[in-house]
Amino acid sequence: MRKRTLKRSSLRRALTAFWWLTLIFLYLPLAVVVLFSFNASNSAASMTGLSLRWYHQLLGNEQIMAAFGNTLILALCSSVIALVIGCLIGYGMYRHRHRKLGWLIVLIYLPIVLPDIVFGISEMAFFVQFHRLTGLLQPGLGTMVIAHVTFQIPFVALIVYSRFVGLDPTLFEAAKDLYATPAKRVVHFMLPTIKPALISAFFLSFTLSVDDFVISFFTAGPESATLPIYIWGAIKKGVSPEINAIATLMIGAVAMAAAISLLFNRKRQS
Amino acid sequence: MLQTSQTASRRHAVVSETRHLLFTVTPGAAWIIVFLVLPSVYLMAVAFMTNGPYGLPQLPLSLNSFEQLAGVGFLGWSPGNLYTLLRSLWQTIVATGLVVLVAYPIAYYITTCRARWRPIMLLLVVVPSWTNQVIRTFGWMNLLAPGTPLSNLAEILGLISPNMGLYPSNFAVTLGLVYNFLPFMVLPLYAAFEKLDTAQVEAAQDLYAKPVRAFWNAVFPQTLPGLLAGVVLVAIPAFGMYVIPELLGGGKAMMLGNLVATQFSGGSNWPLGAAGAILMLIATFIGLFAMRRIGKRLGGGEEVVI
Repeated sequence: MRKRTLKRSSLRRALTAFWWLTLIFLYLPLAVVVLFSFNASNSAASMTGLSLRWYHQLLGNEQIMAAFGNTLILALCSSVIALVIGCLIGYGMYRHRHRKLGWLIVLIYLPIVLPDIVFGISEMAFFVQFHRLTGLLQPGLGTMVIAHVTFQIPFVALIVYSRFVGLDPTLFEAAKDLYATPAKRVVHFMLPTIKPALISAFFLSFTLSVDDFVISFFTAGPESATLPIYIWGAIKKGVSPEINAIATLMIGAVAMAAAISLLFNRKRQS
Repeated sequence: MLQTSQTASRRHAVVSETRHLLFTVTPGAAWIIVFLVLPSVYLMAVAFMTNGPYGLPQLPLSLNSFEQLAGVGFLGWSPGNLYTLLRSLWQTIVATGLVVLVAYPIAYYITTCRARWRPIMLLLVVVPSWTNQVIRTFGWMNLLAPGTPLSNLAEILGLISPNMGLYPSNFAVTLGLVYNFLPFMVLPLYAAFEKLDTAQVEAAQDLYAKPVRAFWNAVFPQTLPGLLAGVVLVAIPAFGMYVIPELLGGGKAMMLGNLVATQFSGGSNWPLGAAGAILMLIATFIGLFAMRRIGKRLGGGEEVVI
């Protein structure tokens, strides 16, 4: 018996060590980016001292500021559109879940399972040809919003759908008795009950949009570079230390989002 | 009289239900059909057209693009594209295998920790994947470039020739893939471990099964659905990966995604790129189909993906 616990504890120690090694593996590349963003020299191989010069340069760089604006506009517009459309489709899926809606499920999963690159190039090919034929939909922020909404809809729909499934079905009957018109039911019953789902769907859509590179890259026009596209271009042209600074800011935003989600989790638990 | 009005009201109810279905579902369904299904169908059609000037597709229909994908060119057959395909397959298999090896103990370890720490530990695993893929890959470029501590270490150990650096290389691509997809494997495996029926393990121990045997017979089969879900979530996107081989690989580590993308930007041969995309789609659907079949056999119709 004693031997067994000994063996157990040594296994446990090995696992703990492995866990910390994996964490180092996961955070090392991000840490390096953050560290070099404060580097005094523009060497990518050695730290020579601390400075904020790359952050100062960032503020003066019009291209980066434009890319930042584009990223926000794109994420905001696409998330709002996807929220409305995805919410409707999620409710439709719930209300009519007893019908045979196999085709709809396939349609909704399609944007999720399609490889990014296939998604991106088919949209690009489509938009280019459409523009040649009609003169509409010139590649730019507009086409990017369309593409982003396409991959956001399924996530919104699935989140809203699962929220409805989790509700007591008799609630709907009660709401029917309580509020006379469908419009009142929507405003006073449905929207308030699915509010948490709507909030998390909006944030997920927003994050997916900011996080996306491949699909944006192929649907963008010359004037509509987002931050990831700008960073990609800068890397390809030859590494400039400013990238570290802008990347650090984006990592900071993610860290903040993680902290917020942790707080929410805590609150729900207690 | 009463009956007719009842059927009438029932018919009215059916009509209004259908109208409701159309009202809620049409905008989303139409959006996906117009902006994703139609473009993909168009892309597939492009694969069967001929490459015109400026890389745009032209009639007549032909299978030229598929011949080119197999390596047939003006100067006869060359193995370049075939190597790219095999490399994609190989990278996918190796990276998925490595991800399993790392994720399995990690997922198990998290389940053995105190309940209040588990959400935080999962968050710690997932958070790096919330940052942009380009930035993460850029971090690895900084780490693996010639002259960095890791590259110097590899040089001292004789793993690489002097001043080469660990990147760009096939190794760097594998590493990037493992890094990128680790959370996708940890999450489903963790879910599987959390549902683990420990009674089976105790039964195995009571019957004096050796730990290794107890693991393979009592633990492993129970985690298999999670493992399979993870394999699909990792292998399918890894096979079509574009960013990581492009940044970490250099010219000699190209994967199918790069081959496809090049045809639509620099190289400009839409039909060839579309043929590559079709190949990627076929691989995706084979993966999903196999997954469903195995998942049904294991979990009794339990939905495994997502």
